[in-house]
Amino acid sequence: MSIKFFRIVQCAFWRMGSVTDDEVIRKRLLIDGDGAGDDRRINVLMKSFTKWCHSNFSPEEGFSQYQRMLTSLAQCEFSMGKTLLVYDMNLKEMENYEAIYADIERSITSAHEKIAECKKEIQRAKRIRKNRQEYDALARVIKQHPDRHETLKQLEALDRELQQLSHIKENVEDKLELRKKQFHVLLTTIQELQQTLENDEKMESDDTQESSMENGD
Amino acid sequence: MGPVELLHMSVFSQSFSPCGRFLAAGNNYGEIAVFSLSAALSPDASEGSQKPILNFTAHDGPVFTLLSTDTHLLSAGNGEISAWSWAELIKKSTKAAWTRKPSYETSLEIPEINAMIINPKDNSLIVGGGDNNIHIMDMETGIFKSVLKGHTDYIHCLCFKEREGEILSGGEDGAVRIWDSRTNRPVHCIEVFRYEECARPQFGKWISCLATDSDWMLCGGGPSLSLWHLRSMSPTSVFPLPGCQREAVFHQDLIMSVGEGPYVSHCLHGGTVKAQIPCTPSSLNTLALNLKNTEHRVMTVGGSSHQIDVFTNFSYRAFSLSF
Repeated sequence: MSIKFFRIVQCAFWRMGSVTDDEVIRKRLLIDGDGAGDDRRINVLMKSFTKWCHSNFSPEEGFSQYQRMLTSLAQCEFSMGKTLLVYDMNLKEMENYEAIYADIERSITSAHEKIAECKKEIQRAKRIRKNRQEYDALARVIKQHPDRHETLKQLEALDRELQQLSHIKENVEDKLELRKKQFHVLLTTIQELQQTLENDEKMESDDTQESSMENGD
Repeated sequence: MGPVELLHMSVFSQSFSPCGRFLAAGNNYGEIAVFSLSAALSPDASEGSQKPILNFTAHDGPVFTLLSTDTHLLSAGNGEISAWSWAELIKKSTKAAWTRKPSYETSLEIPEINAMIINPKDNSLIVGGGDNNIHIMDMETGIFKSVLKGHTDYIHCLCFKEREGEILSGGEDGAVRIWDSRTNRPVHCIEVFRYEECARPQFGKWISCLATDSDWMLCGGGPSLSLWHLRSMSPTSVFPLPGCQREAVFHQDLIMSVGEGPYVSHCLHGGTVKAQIPCTPSSLNTLALNLKNTEHRVMTVGGSSHQIDVFTNFSYRAFSLSF
């Protein structure tokens, strides 16, 4: 039945000269796969309706035929309602998918931004680490040198000692000078005394010589 | 290039192109190979993309040092410096832009050139090598304008301090000399081997690697790799690495160094060795970081092997390029 339908539609299209007939037909068949049943039901309904109108049935047969038509009409309505619901459902699914898609897009962009942020953060952290390492290295070198306060204190102590010692040296030198002078004075007085004593002796011997010379005359 | 030659190949120098998409490496046979990093790092890389796109013989002797300026690749080996245009190299043309030789005092033997750096302030090329002197050449005119004398043995490595405009040189005589680039006079001389904490007399006194990061300096070689504070001229940390280090760099908060031993050492400024990443060559000569290009941010190391290891994440080896 579906193949016959396909052939009929194909002939119609060839006559109309449509280019995408295969596509359209294939699509139509796919969507309308079960449509052969519905179509057939409507056709049968139409035929039976006209037959029922025109022919003379007995009242029971007519009534049963009428019932049969009503059932098939109900069936058609039911399948129509079903397809409408399916259509609504598909629309809602599409919306849902669109929403999910937009959500995923947003999360992708935010993830990209986070990655960029983290990369910047890592660069900063690397710089910080490098600076810390350099600081540590320099600190190690500095620690090897002695503490400045200690050295200053040592220098002060040495200064004081130096001052003390030079003070003592000055004192000792002064004393030395003083003693030198005193000894000088002592020595000169001794020499003078010696000189005077010698002079006195000489004068005395001169005197005795003169007196002996006078006595001899 | 037979298998025996490949076995005995050593990579001595590396340099990245100014755009950061190509790597040039020089080996002991005088060849320079240009590798395409974008091909090797692309998702559909194959065996062929780890081979050089261009491989040519640049010098008679080994290519000890390579340097990239904004437009040219400079290579130096036995006494002469050649310049190759990067644009030409990418198009696979191997014609040198120019070749120059510093003026040597004796013309009997041509000393090798071990290190080259660029002084960006006055656009001059600073070259150090086997004649114990540092030659400074003006890049625009090509004239060798000055010679810095002071080392008593050949120079291994050069380094430049941008902020103060000072040149640091390390040599076989164990001294790290600091020169002022404007007046061309020596400023300091540090004899590393005289400091007990760094010295390793069993290896010698030579300094083969120098790196500087404003106030700090790394130096190593015969003596252990040590971090110096230049203002106080004192060693602050000594790194307990067993072999002699041939190249060291500062990178963010780490110090990376290569030398004897098939690994790259990651160290912290405090003196601890954080990690040692294994590599294919049994000992390494050169380490290069490609920081110019953010897409191809890699570290490459080369040494006693025909393979150059590439690290995309600095913590492990990704793959190897081979000559």
